[in-house]
Amino acid sequence: MIHETSQTADRKPAGVLGQFETADELLHACEQARDAGIKRMDAYTPFPVHGIERAMGVPRTILPFFVLAVGLGACALGLGLQWYTNGTEQLGPLWSGYQFKISGKPYFSLPANIPVAFEVIVLSSAFAAFLGMLILNRLPMLANPLHRIPRFKRATNDRFFLMLEAGDESFDLSAAREKLAGWGATEIEDVWLDNTDHKLPAFLQTLGMLALVLLMVPPVLVYRARGMTSRETRLHVNPDMDFQVRYDPQSLGPIDNDDDPTQYLFEHQRAAFAAVPGTVARGPIDEDVEYLRGIEAEWFDQQTRVAAPAVLVSGRRQEKGRQEEGKQEEKTSEQEESQQEPGSELTGTAEAEEEAPPEPDWIQEFPSQVDVSETTLLRGQRMFNIYCSVCHGYSGDGNGLVNQRAMALTINGNAGWTTAKSLYDAETMNPEKNPVGRIYDTITNGRATMGPYATRIQPADRWAIVLYVKSLHETRRDAPHPDPNAVTQGETEN
Amino acid sequence: MSTAWPLVDNSIENPSRRAPLITGGLDYDGVSDVVSDLAEMEKPPRIWYVLLAISATITLILGGLIGLLFLKGVGVWGNNNPVYWGWPIVNFVFWVGIGHAGTLISAILFLFRQHWRTSINRAAEAMTIFAVICAGMFPGIHIGRVWVFYWLFPIPSEHLSMWPQFRSPLLWDVFAVSTYFTVSLLFWYMGMVPDLATFRDRSKTKVRKMIYGILSLGWTGSARHWHRYESAYVILAALATPLVLSVHTIVSFDFAISIVPGWHTTIFPPYFVAGAIFSGFAMVITLLVPMRAIFNLRHVITVRHIENMNKIIMVTGLMVGTAYAIEFFIAWYSANEFEMFAFMNRSFGPYWWAYVTMFTCNVLVPQLFWFKRIRTSMVWSVIICLLVNVGMWFERFVIVMTLNRDYLPSSWAYFKPTWVDVMMLIGSFGLFFTLFLLFCRFLPVVAMSEVKGTMTFQRNMARAGGYAGDHQP
Repeated sequence: MIHETSQTADRKPAGVLGQFETADELLHACEQARDAGIKRMDAYTPFPVHGIERAMGVPRTILPFFVLAVGLGACALGLGLQWYTNGTEQLGPLWSGYQFKISGKPYFSLPANIPVAFEVIVLSSAFAAFLGMLILNRLPMLANPLHRIPRFKRATNDRFFLMLEAGDESFDLSAAREKLAGWGATEIEDVWLDNTDHKLPAFLQTLGMLALVLLMVPPVLVYRARGMTSRETRLHVNPDMDFQVRYDPQSLGPIDNDDDPTQYLFEHQRAAFAAVPGTVARGPIDEDVEYLRGIEAEWFDQQTRVAAPAVLVSGRRQEKGRQEEGKQEEKTSEQEESQQEPGSELTGTAEAEEEAPPEPDWIQEFPSQVDVSETTLLRGQRMFNIYCSVCHGYSGDGNGLVNQRAMALTINGNAGWTTAKSLYDAETMNPEKNPVGRIYDTITNGRATMGPYATRIQPADRWAIVLYVKSLHETRRDAPHPDPNAVTQGETEN
Repeated sequence: MSTAWPLVDNSIENPSRRAPLITGGLDYDGVSDVVSDLAEMEKPPRIWYVLLAISATITLILGGLIGLLFLKGVGVWGNNNPVYWGWPIVNFVFWVGIGHAGTLISAILFLFRQHWRTSINRAAEAMTIFAVICAGMFPGIHIGRVWVFYWLFPIPSEHLSMWPQFRSPLLWDVFAVSTYFTVSLLFWYMGMVPDLATFRDRSKTKVRKMIYGILSLGWTGSARHWHRYESAYVILAALATPLVLSVHTIVSFDFAISIVPGWHTTIFPPYFVAGAIFSGFAMVITLLVPMRAIFNLRHVITVRHIENMNKIIMVTGLMVGTAYAIEFFIAWYSANEFEMFAFMNRSFGPYWWAYVTMFTCNVLVPQLFWFKRIRTSMVWSVIICLLVNVGMWFERFVIVMTLNRDYLPSSWAYFKPTWVDVMMLIGSFGLFFTLFLLFCRFLPVVAMSEVKGTMTFQRNMARAGGYAGDHQP
């Protein structure tokens, strides 16, 4: 039964292959080979024959430990990914995280992060098991001397093979044949190493090199584009909502009919539909101007009826207008040292010159909603100490900490700073020129270089501060004031 | 050849004897012949061409509709206030559920050493992969701006400057479904490598030899390779088992994590998983019964295989029925009037007909499987399984349509699908069947190496002494 193959001098044997009819016979042959001390051999079967690795003396694979290691790494990776991207916001080495505040939940909370971590573990471990199996088996290996043997095709179908490999110390071609025959092999064949040229054909090599070079082009182009600026318009592969089919308000609308240019979508070729009569503007409609703006309601009504209400918007612009008129108003200040450029001051003045708005009629007394009492006064003190004292000082002399520091810097020439105003100069203390409405407006909209506090202090607290400022004034009056009711007045009236 | 053998009824239970899983007197070579037949024949049967032509046409229509959707936007669907999640999510959950049977058969039954799985696991795994493709399509095309689909994944993006929200069940879905698809594909392919090697060694033409040669990675069936291969296979099965349970759990979180009455329940994960296995097995039978008839696999996929699957369908059907009952009980027990209303509305509201369809198909119809004659009848199996598939589609429809009456009665509405909705559902079936028919023609439809291993096991069991004393010198 021994099948002899013609042997030429340059061929090297890979081993001897014996064919067995059943799995049991193969198993027995493997045991005998193992007992004969043969180390380098392999069995080939169409399905896994259980116990064959023991019969051949093959040690257990390390694959499970490899998968375990990858799985543990993936667990750390999955949790780390979620912690870094959702739980932190520091600028990382490449990209910073992004903290989502959702329903007040913590940025990183293990239960909610388990599903993704679990999926990452399973995915990585599955790849580890598959690729680990391939790597340990040295697959894919498309060239194998066994594939040249026609009989071996049955190894994946219905026959069982045992190969005694030439790499074994005690390997001998004829002895191996005899051994296999003795163990019950029905067919025995020599397997020869493949001597054919392994070199790729020249044209394939050229093509491969060319493909490699061409593959380098896109990354190089991308890298170049990232490293330089360009005046070209961005290439829009997809519009991505960058261009929208719409008309901006206050622009010309489309002409429906080219032949008849009088036919517009909306009248007068507007892009938007004109508001229908009776439309109510957004915002508060019955605004309490005395309480919210410190202006006499009567004067306000008159102004809004005759003129554009824009004049009433900014107390700051009004103030600048007054300064230009030469009224001796000392500059108030605020911590806008660096932002306040000389240029902008000039522009502001120029604007004010053009349309110097009239000073509104400030209310002289506290509005009815303000409870002029000790509670309000203490509240005002608290708010003054929080918001105002940083510049104006706790006592109101204009020597707050910010002011002291800024002045020190200004003397060194490191900053430009207008001194914070003392609340005790004659102009400010004069209830005729600076009534409560005006003080309220100063806090609300700012004045000169002082910024507006409307967004930071509630109206009720602003009025409380006004009350506190008025009480501060009363502490510095040398002589009885002609009108001593500045503070008590409200109380008596209410 | 093999058809000449009489069909043995291996569904008869005889405690003294193990019923054979492979009949017809097939030997190893016979199994290879039967399984490779369709892939190797010059011209497949005419019915294959007819089915492929129909399903490929439907797939083309689906492609056109996806193009229409991209051009016009999701407004081509019937989704609207208050049912923003319409048929697309119904179809998604339906297909993902079907995808669960494959991994269950290949992983969980493998770990339980259920040898009968070997005849059906390959086709079931293929079905899983194709079903997950159909499933993933629906949320994939529902994202509005499809050209930035990659924002779903945690890829650093300078354009967006932010990361996915990792505590959202919709993001868990992305991870779960994509992991499930990838792992199923790996499992499927790895299981196929030895059979692809068989195809390679049987191939007569050079082209086939090259293609199957590359796909089989140079597999020789070496014992050392088999050793590591089996180790990897057990690990993959052990990984896929919790995975398959996690995927439909996470899909159910899409509903359960929200605070919508009728959705916000802890029963959803087990109930969804049971329903997934239920519908998945029904789909396996729907595919395998015609396949074994057309492609002559009666001796490999036997009556016993079909009967075993029918038993699983009956059990999971009972689980689903229990879940329906428990849901009602909990709604009443919660004493929450919104919860109670949601369930009354589900079963007696405007969609009562859908609820009745669901209940009949999922709970009542599978009870017929208590009868052995019906359980072992191919025609009855297919009819019941088709009804189960209809019922399971309606189950998801009923769940999603809970939205039609939300907290604000002024927005109550009756959801109506558009023709695009309907055609896309049909189209997904076209895609599914196209892929499955191509699989039948070009890849090994039965795990030959595993079946052969089972045959040895059977023979050894029959000898009742193990292999030790069996050696013949």
